[in-house]
Amino acid sequence: MKLPSFLRFVGPSVGLMVALMAVPLAMTFYLSLRQCALEMETVTVTQSGPFGQQEVTTQRTKTTADGVPISQCSFVGLQHYKRVLGLDRAGADDALAPATTEATTSAPVGVGASKPANEFFSALRFTLSYIAATTPFVVGIGLLLALGAQQLSTAWRAIFITAALLPFIVTPVVAALSIKWLFRDNGLIPYLFSHFGVQVFWMAEAWSAQLLIVLYGVWHSVPFAFIVLFAGLQSVPQDSLEAATIDGASRMQRFRYVTLPHIMPLVIFILLIHVMDAYRVFEPIIVLTQGTFTTSVQYLTYYILLQESNPYKASAASVLTIAGVAVLLIPLLLKTYREQRGLN
Amino acid sequence: MRSMSTAVFMGVCLSVFAQSVHAKCGDIVGKGDINIIGNSFPALQYISKELESCNRAGLKVAVKMTPEARVETERAFGSTGPSPFSAAVVSMGTFTNLNARGQLQPMTDLVNKYRTKYKIEDSMLVRVNGEVMAIAFMQNAQNLFYRKDIFEKHGIKAPTTYPEMLIAASQIKAKERSIDFPIAQPFGKGFDSATEFVNLLSGHGGRMFKLGSAEPDFNGDAGVKAIETMRAMLPFMTPNALASNSDDVMNQFQQGKAAMGVLWASRAERMDDAAASKVVGKIDFAAAPKASASGKIAAHLWWDGVVMPRNLGQDRDIVFQVLMEGLDEETTRAANNTAIWIRSTYKPTRFGAGVAASIKAGAPVWPSEPFFSLAHGELGKILPDALSGKLSPKAALDVAAAAYRSAARDQGFLKK
Amino acid sequence: MPLSRFAQRIIYVALALWLVIASLPVIWTAVISLRDYVDAFANPVKWSAPVTFENYRALWIDREFYRNFFNTMVVTIGTVSISLCVGCLAAYALARYRGSLGFWLLLVALVFRALPHSTLLPSFFTLFDALGIRNTYFSLIFVLVAINQPFTIWMLRSFFMNIPAELDEAAMVDGCSRFQAFRRVIIPVMWPGIVTTGLFSFLLAYNDFLLSSALTNAEKMTMPAAIANSISAESEALLMQGVAGAVSITLPLIILVVIFQRQIVSGLTQGAVKG
Repeated sequence: MKLPSFLRFVGPSVGLMVALMAVPLAMTFYLSLRQCALEMETVTVTQSGPFGQQEVTTQRTKTTADGVPISQCSFVGLQHYKRVLGLDRAGADDALAPATTEATTSAPVGVGASKPANEFFSALRFTLSYIAATTPFVVGIGLLLALGAQQLSTAWRAIFITAALLPFIVTPVVAALSIKWLFRDNGLIPYLFSHFGVQVFWMAEAWSAQLLIVLYGVWHSVPFAFIVLFAGLQSVPQDSLEAATIDGASRMQRFRYVTLPHIMPLVIFILLIHVMDAYRVFEPIIVLTQGTFTTSVQYLTYYILLQESNPYKASAASVLTIAGVAVLLIPLLLKTYREQRGLN
Repeated sequence: MRSMSTAVFMGVCLSVFAQSVHAKCGDIVGKGDINIIGNSFPALQYISKELESCNRAGLKVAVKMTPEARVETERAFGSTGPSPFSAAVVSMGTFTNLNARGQLQPMTDLVNKYRTKYKIEDSMLVRVNGEVMAIAFMQNAQNLFYRKDIFEKHGIKAPTTYPEMLIAASQIKAKERSIDFPIAQPFGKGFDSATEFVNLLSGHGGRMFKLGSAEPDFNGDAGVKAIETMRAMLPFMTPNALASNSDDVMNQFQQGKAAMGVLWASRAERMDDAAASKVVGKIDFAAAPKASASGKIAAHLWWDGVVMPRNLGQDRDIVFQVLMEGLDEETTRAANNTAIWIRSTYKPTRFGAGVAASIKAGAPVWPSEPFFSLAHGELGKILPDALSGKLSPKAALDVAAAAYRSAARDQGFLKK
Repeated sequence: MPLSRFAQRIIYVALALWLVIASLPVIWTAVISLRDYVDAFANPVKWSAPVTFENYRALWIDREFYRNFFNTMVVTIGTVSISLCVGCLAAYALARYRGSLGFWLLLVALVFRALPHSTLLPSFFTLFDALGIRNTYFSLIFVLVAINQPFTIWMLRSFFMNIPAELDEAAMVDGCSRFQAFRRVIIPVMWPGIVTTGLFSFLLAYNDFLLSSALTNAEKMTMPAAIANSISAESEALLMQGVAGAVSITLPLIILVVIFQRQIVSGLTQGAVKG
């Protein structure tokens, strides 16, 4: 295929990706360096309502003659990054300064200057732990199920595959809700546990809340690994297997030397997809814990954007999130680079 | 695609609401596509049904009820183009933010025009410098829910202070076999725990901000006491308490697993619905307890009302009329028990008794500084760390104060 | 050499165990969706309780969930069809073109595939508000198509690679243009790949929660976005509607997989797995 015709064919797809992914990414970076704020003035107003009338001194937006609020935007450099990374010493010092002047009347300031929370780092730490904790189970259980399903008769296979795929196809937010309902205070799982004399409160401590999210992750991702590996097992060359049997290879040896090399590229493929998807973990966080004990990088951006209503700070979290995924992908990208280079 | 979907909707809507078309909004002249947003709570669910029954050819009313209502409302009312929502149902906190940013539409002229038609009462009008900026329809406040039967059985008096509450809790934990965790109160991350903190802060005599300024003042003595009070309650609450919202707490009461706790009055009526509750008639309501024997009542008064955006891109007259149809006397009458309505036709029930007692005990009105929600949000983020003991109360409050200052600077409330 | 009966049994038990784990959350949700709130979230748990369809009635009739169903259908069908049209063109070209530009494109697509979607939201908010296209089917569909493109072109490309290039060359010798060859000769033999890729696109669009809830208002909300109201429901009636909604969202997916189960496996075997 020639270049002009190639460009015509890929045009629409590339155009969409540029317009709705590349341009927004560039814009995110731009936004992360800015801040817009409304101009405020101090006013005294009379407010009245169901609970009576009062005079209050408050702040109000300055408006233009026809009532449009005036806002001012400016470049703030790396301020948002510093804040998301907990390096914003200025804010902490400011808050402590007035407290010290009143130290005589209020509590002793013995606790010392507390470090502002490093929101991004704690989100990244959980996200990476989540990837590390789920990946081996996803691949391992997926492989075992695929090997097991091979032993089933054709009719049973169809039934098994349909049912086994369930966690993968169910809408993640719905699945997370279902799991929440199973594990809540009075849910089915704690109830079953209590029959064995074990009382587990899943949301009582960080480790159990995090374990629950990891369990969700494994549950959700195993079927994809299973179905890909199962498909891969169907194309293992039968003649090689037979030849190995004739040569006296044991079951383990056949798996080790014939089957495994054949499905190894698929394991890599699953790893790649799972790491990408796990880095995005979001639904179980927002549904199961609403950020108590755990945040993920994607949840952090969402939270800053929607709960703190600060698109600029959210952009800084976005850029850091993208940097994180880039670092994570380098080895996989290098591998793909070498492979595809080899092919071409 | 769009016109076809509209046609399908209209068809279905018309058939569903065939009877109500004439009853509601019958004499509103004009057309419109009216979108209203609000948090989901029982009274609004009823109102939204009323509002949506205004649907007829040319007039489409949709109410979006979502937990993200505050954020979505602020974004819509603050957008540069016309607001995607024609009106919003807001509580005081959101009202204050919107009003401070000049994003609300004065409704004084409309109130005057329709005062008699919809029997709009003066007590419903929220005025700023004389202009009507919101129309309030219900009040809400936290009050004490307690199991009258259990308290009577063991000869315990309903607590009037938090220290009394802890004593009652330890007695019930020791004596009452059916209850493992006597106290149930929403301590979840974010809105719930921050609201508890604000209540207890004012109960212990503290202030959120230095008088007349946006400088934080919640990280002093009273703030530390507020957190200590909350921590003292934890041993009597379910270990999952730090992840419990109002809904989980309500369930604990309804399932007979909690003996007392401070909860929203809007939940009271749900205690007596047999399809939802095992403790019908067993729960009584009292004023929210005082933070300490010498302290003040740890609760605030709220109102909920409707507002219209300044950047409304449609006929304000029709939007206003539709809103008033939903808030008319008929609504108050038909849904009397679901809320503490502000209209004078409301007949007080036992579900509102706790709020009446809280008002009598001097509960203050929820803070209305436009920067309040920033501080509230930062507190909600860090409080779980203070409650679980990961941070000392003072350290957690300092972190929140610093984060609040940064956010307040971003938004222009603090200069430096 | 068949397995011993003992080993066989262990395998069956293990597979059955997975089926229980896989389906328990779905089954339990379905069970409690047919109960009153007081029984659904009873403490202690109730094994049996009176059956009621009230939650479904309240959801579909009172709350008009059919609107959300309709929105989901518009968004999903729109996303799948546009994704496949645009994706087939690009994937075909990427399978046939030998220059290094194609390789770089695939690599960049891979990076885009890894992108957490929330990172795009700050810009989407700003851009769409400025253009006035927030809360339209149009913007949500095209956002989902764009996000879905990397996966679509990678997957479709592996299917196109399996179709011998001689086929289109023969067609072009016979006088077809490149596009005619693609349209008349290649696409007809591509159906298995298109169906499999289409299914994955369907799941992505149907199941999306983050973007759909952030970019739409009440009347355009898809089912998963609407159901999120139940996450911190402010009343038990809403919560029970959420439970019924969870089942309502899942049912079409189950039907879909029952119908297309064979295509998923054979599609993966022929395409993605080989490429």
